[in-house]
Amino acid sequence: MVKVVLKDVTKKFGRVVAVNKVSLEVEDGELFTILGPSGCGKTTTLRIVAGFEFPDEGRVMFDEVDVTFRKPYERGTAMVFQNYALWPHMTVFDNIAYGLKVKKLPKSEVRERVMRVIELVGLKGLEDRYPLQLSGGQQQRVALARALVVEPKVLLLDEPLSNLDAKLRVRMREEIRRLQKRLGITTIYVTHDQEEAMSLSDRIAIMNDGKVVQVGHPREIYMSPGNLFVATFIGRSTALMGRVVEVSGENVKLDVGDGVVIKGRLARGYELRTNDEAIAIMRPEDFDLDKPKAEANELSGVVDLTMFIGAFNQVKIRLGSQSFKAYLDPDIEVRPGTEMTVYIRVDDVIIFPRRGWEEIEFEAVA
Amino acid sequence: MGLLRKLRFYLDSAMVVQLLIPVVFFGLFLIIPLAAVAVFPLVPGISGTTYSPLLLFQDPSMIRFTSTRPSVIIRQVVMGGENLTLIALFGPNYGAIPNSLINSMVVTLGASIFGLVVAFVMARYDFPGKMFFRVLAMVPLLLTPFINAFVVRKMFMYDGIISYFIHRILHLPYIIYVDYLAGVMIAQVMTFWPIVYLNVYASMVQIDPSLEEQAENLGAKGFRLFRTVTLPLSLPGLAAGAAVVFIFSLEDLGAPIAFREFDMISFKIFSGLRAAITGEVPPYVASLSLLLLALAMVAFLSIKKYVSLRQYAMVVRGGRWLPRVRKPGMIGAVLIYALILPAMLFTAFPQIGVFMYSLAERWTKTFPEGLTLKYFSEMVSNPVLFTSIKNSLIYAGSALAIIVLLGISTAYVVARGRIPGLGILDAIATSPIAIPGLAIATGYFLVFSRAPFKSTLLDPFTSGPWLLLILAYAIRRSPFTIRAVYAGLQQIHEALEESAMNLGASRWRTLATIVIPLLGLSILGGALVSFVYSMAETSVSVTLGGIESSQRPITYSMYEYLYSGYVEGPNLVAVMAVFIISIQLTVIVVTNFILKQRYAFIGV
Repeated sequence: MVKVVLKDVTKKFGRVVAVNKVSLEVEDGELFTILGPSGCGKTTTLRIVAGFEFPDEGRVMFDEVDVTFRKPYERGTAMVFQNYALWPHMTVFDNIAYGLKVKKLPKSEVRERVMRVIELVGLKGLEDRYPLQLSGGQQQRVALARALVVEPKVLLLDEPLSNLDAKLRVRMREEIRRLQKRLGITTIYVTHDQEEAMSLSDRIAIMNDGKVVQVGHPREIYMSPGNLFVATFIGRSTALMGRVVEVSGENVKLDVGDGVVIKGRLARGYELRTNDEAIAIMRPEDFDLDKPKAEANELSGVVDLTMFIGAFNQVKIRLGSQSFKAYLDPDIEVRPGTEMTVYIRVDDVIIFPRRGWEEIEFEAVA
Repeated sequence: MGLLRKLRFYLDSAMVVQLLIPVVFFGLFLIIPLAAVAVFPLVPGISGTTYSPLLLFQDPSMIRFTSTRPSVIIRQVVMGGENLTLIALFGPNYGAIPNSLINSMVVTLGASIFGLVVAFVMARYDFPGKMFFRVLAMVPLLLTPFINAFVVRKMFMYDGIISYFIHRILHLPYIIYVDYLAGVMIAQVMTFWPIVYLNVYASMVQIDPSLEEQAENLGAKGFRLFRTVTLPLSLPGLAAGAAVVFIFSLEDLGAPIAFREFDMISFKIFSGLRAAITGEVPPYVASLSLLLLALAMVAFLSIKKYVSLRQYAMVVRGGRWLPRVRKPGMIGAVLIYALILPAMLFTAFPQIGVFMYSLAERWTKTFPEGLTLKYFSEMVSNPVLFTSIKNSLIYAGSALAIIVLLGISTAYVVARGRIPGLGILDAIATSPIAIPGLAIATGYFLVFSRAPFKSTLLDPFTSGPWLLLILAYAIRRSPFTIRAVYAGLQQIHEALEESAMNLGASRWRTLATIVIPLLGLSILGGALVSFVYSMAETSVSVTLGGIESSQRPITYSMYEYLYSGYVEGPNLVAVMAVFIISIQLTVIVVTNFILKQRYAFIGV
């Protein structure tokens, strides 16, 4: 087991900078997730760790040892590919045994270790099947077993669950978490699915546009996003623009037009002054119909649109020239055109400077 | 600096070896000989003079401004007591260079028009007997070196089948006689049109039907739809097919020899190189080879732009679609059965004629006469023929071993290498399709018969041409295998190799345990096709192949027996052609039905 360190790693494909000065430290035994939208460079980063891509700049270290120039087969990592990459001309047993045979282990030991890992991932009885005779979930397990059996220094998982159906995905997610903790292998997990990342990671690195934009524990990333991108990428969010009317310490008051002033917390690491353009980011699920005990904003507006989602009612409320989204109790019927009042705690409103907003304006926010 | 860093990482021993194999092989046996063809005309010969390509344009047998013969002669003749009009088509003769250019342009145009029509009908219509049409369209591509054009000439003699049909069946008072350049044109269009058909057809079935439906939806139909959507999207196939036909037509020898059109670039190089048996070639040979090479390269490079369009024809592809086929209307059906079918049967006739010839006692008048198998037994008992068949099997088999090695290395490096400059290697490895064999033969003669190769195994005068023939076959036919292996590699997800290396397998081990086992069928399919085309190679075989009589390949003997005046010669050549066709048919069956691959026919 090792600690993995990336130092200022940059990789270009032609003119496209896929990975831009990425530095990461993955602790020994940690399950570390790289999360980001497609094309953000997360898979390339993983492939640089595996040695499939060679960085144009920067270094990759395993426990103080520079492995940048080591070939994939000299690194001792084991990767689970998104499409599993099972060899169609080999049985389940031969697929899993491959890494051990390469190491020239005695036959009896190969057999013993393969059977043990087959049992561990619940594939007993399928060892003579060919990959094409297996279901997607079973193929996934073979790929995992093939990686685990060599007892790698680092386990690399590239969107391993993205080809499974929703229910199986949740089950495999728990299984991967359980196995990883039990074996204590340093693991780097790449995904674009934030729920997956939140639920199984020790720490998460959020990547966007080739850069790491925030690293932290899942709770920390959700509760105090470090920038607008993370705030809008993680979870659902809704936004109101305005002009700063007052700043005192962490507390900011924002005039969002039509005489409405919202109180919120200043995002960590940013500065705002009176009269600056700013943006209030809120989670739709944080809105309430009853006034909470803590200090809260009271927002009144006309209902524009309602959508019944099941677990909640999505309500779009018009506030002067802007509107915001709130997830409300599905039992309460709301009709478009009626006036309504909702509450949100001041602590749940995060205020960012408006700069850079246009570039990341998602449909999730609008 | 960055490049060195990269190379240090991506070049491991396996990659270096895989890279060196094609670089060394193509460098020694393709680039250097062709460079010699380019340089030699500028270097003084033994007489101390140079024969620059410019001198070609002062030689009246190469180029002149008046034709030496009328293109058409129409004359009243009396035959069998009947007054008939003889129409003799000869075509003009402006010397070798204009003749070859005129011929190739006419042939390319003719083959393109007919190929395009057949491709459109086959890709867009469904009609009874379509399978028969499909098979019929492949018949002209069956390899029948020399004898093919020989039979075409028989068809177009005074007393040939064409005149018989017009005079005796249609009862029209005409007889037709075709010879010289006009005959070359007809014979080549008949042989080469399926190349255009196959390439255009492949393009047309790749067009997303929604593109045509959208145009119809906006009001385009009929010829307008064809002209504005279908044809532009088929252009990659048309360009590729037309360029290949142009090049094949330029370097073809069979038709010029059969129709006695000796003023052609290919024939001039051929006859010059055959004089090489004396050790020295006429000075114009290298210059003419350079011209031939340049013309072929222009054709090849000018379509590069269009062929890359192939991807754009597929960009909008999403999922599977039902091909856009419909039933032809009344007029369409009449055109298909009354016009296209007879035309296709006509172009397939030379191959049918070769079969009849092989089983006939003689074919001296309109039709073959008498049924016999004696020529089949004579092919085996005749020591000269038997030796040349044996030689060709050995040469093609040895070439195959090189081709497989070269095919795997080249395709692997091009598909998987991460170093700059591989595009050049890819282009060089594909180029033998477009490089005239006569230019290669000239290059081999220029390079390997003198120092530093003099008196080595490569020298055709001291060791015989066997090694040069094997190398030439390997170079000329390797693109079939390289392309097949490359296509196979694209089917294999790279992650299958990466996962092996990730688990500690070196690149060599990954090649042996993952890549080659998964590529097996692609390699076999490509290799079989390469083998057949090696057997039927003519350009190098009939020039350098004749230097040592005991080492002659099959195509050399076919040429010799056809034109050396031996009475039973053509019958024996027909039998040998049937032998080559049967090998080819076996390969087609194996690749299509056992390996389930599309038979990799000619295309760029």
